[in-house]
Parts: sequence; C-alpha cells; structure tokens
Amino acid sequence: MMSQQEQLLVALQDLDLMLKETEDSQDQFEKLGFDVSGVEELRKAREQLLEKLDRTNLSHYERILKRYGRAVAPVTGDSCLGCFAKLPTSYRSSLYEGKVRTCQSCGRILYYP
Amino acid sequence: MTVDELLGFFDPKLCIFDLKARSRDDALEEIVDLVAPEPESNNRRIILDMLRNREALGSTAVGKGIAFPHGRSLAVSRLMAIFARSQEGIAFNSLDGEPTYLFFALLAPPQDRSNQYLPALGKIIELVRNDSMREKLMQVTSFDGFSAALREAPTS
Ligand SMILES: [Zn+2]
Repeated sequence: MMSQQEQLLVALQDLDLMLKETEDSQDQFEKLGFDVSGVEELRKAREQLLEKLDRTNLSHYERILKRYGRAVAPVTGDSCLGCFAKLPTSYRSSLYEGKVRTCQSCGRILYYP
Repeated sequence: MTVDELLGFFDPKLCIFDLKARSRDDALEEIVDLVAPEPESNNRRIILDMLRNREALGSTAVGKGIAFPHGRSLAVSRLMAIFARSQEGIAFNSLDGEPTYLFFALLAPPQDRSNQYLPALGKIIELVRNDSMREKLMQVTSFDGFSAALREAPTS
C-alpha cells in the first residue's frame, strides 16, 4: 500500500513534469492546435498539493529534483528505475506502511505501482 | 512517423467503439479503465489525475468532434495509444463548443528514450484532420477496420 504522502509525491512529480513540458514545448503544442493557457490552474493545483505534504518530504523532493531533474522513480521487480539499484524486499512489507520509501543508493523517492 | 509506426502504439485491447460515458470525467475514467482496470489501483488514480490536470491546462477537445487526451505519467511504462468512440457525443468542453465523438488518448512514460510521444501525437492529429477520415472512423467496427482506415489516409 502506498502511503498518502507517497501518493502526493507521485502526483506532484507528474504535475511538475506537465508544467515543465508545457514550458519547454509550448510552441509545439500550440502548433498542434492545443490550448495550453491554463498554466495558472496547474500552479494552483500544485499549491494545493504542497499544503498537504510534510515539510521534510517536500524538502527531500526538491533536493532530489534539483540533483536529477526528477525526484520520483518507479520500481519494477525490486529495482529502482532511476539508478537500477536493488531495493530491500522489506520495502514491500507492512514495516513501511505509511512511510515514504526512498532508494538507498540514489535517494530518489520510490513509486511502487 | 509512418502510419504503421503509429499503429504500433495502438492495441486491439485498447479500443472502445461505443463509450457509455456521457460526461467528460466519465469518459476519461472509461478510457483509463482499459489500461488500469483495478478500481483501487495506484496507477488508475495517478493516470486519471494526470489527464484531469491536462484538461485543466486547456481542453484537449480541439473541435470537429475530436479530442486528444494526453500526457506523461510515472504510472505509464511505455507509450500507449487508445482509441475510443462515442456514438452520441460527449460534452468535453471542446474549443468549438460541439460534442466530441472520437477520442485518441496518448499516454507516455516520464521519459521515452526515442522521443516518440510528440511525433505520435502530431501524426494522429494530421491523420484525423481530414473530414472523410473522421467519417470513416465513425463507422469502423473493429481494430482491423480502424487500422485499415488509417492506412488508407491520403499522404500529405
Ligand atoms: Zn535509485
């Protein structure tokens, strides 16, 4: 089970991806006929997410985002897809319920689908 | 990108020829059901949030009865294209105010190494710009019919 804080961090990462891609490729999207004028709406949604995030989790997210460009990495098998390090199998146990799991090698926040 | 390359991202299992949804939110849910069917799954919630945020950025219903919901998400592991059709039409907040009948959803992972996401989106848009193509796609009843229609598109 993903903790609520993990869910918020994944949602935040997806939102930041969208904001960045909109900024980087705005011309391309507009050329394709898309309306991407609602950036302010996304920023508001982001503010609402931040209000629910614990401060330590947010500062970890921001630190890792700065370091790698993305702060959250999906897990497949039991590997971190950010750095391919093997993760402890105990991460899937109830010991970590309600916690935010991070990769011990690269520090990325982990997304267990 | 060629039509066949584009068709490689579609899947017979990821097609709906008769959407039940009548609202935008229900349509997005019905589409996401195809790729993340478990009702309580993390992937399902995350992909839905992403698509709703994309609509908040600006409607992906660009008019003429077509919409292209799209975006990148951690919950997506490879580029996937979904075709969905509504016979009655759905109020999807389209740019021309008309109902939306044809949906081409494109879901991408945060990073696709060969960077096919935007070219794939551009290719679908190019193909369905044609009026007679949209009419054909309103009639097809199978994935084979859908693929054949796209393959018959006039080359620009
Ligand atoms: Zn790692």
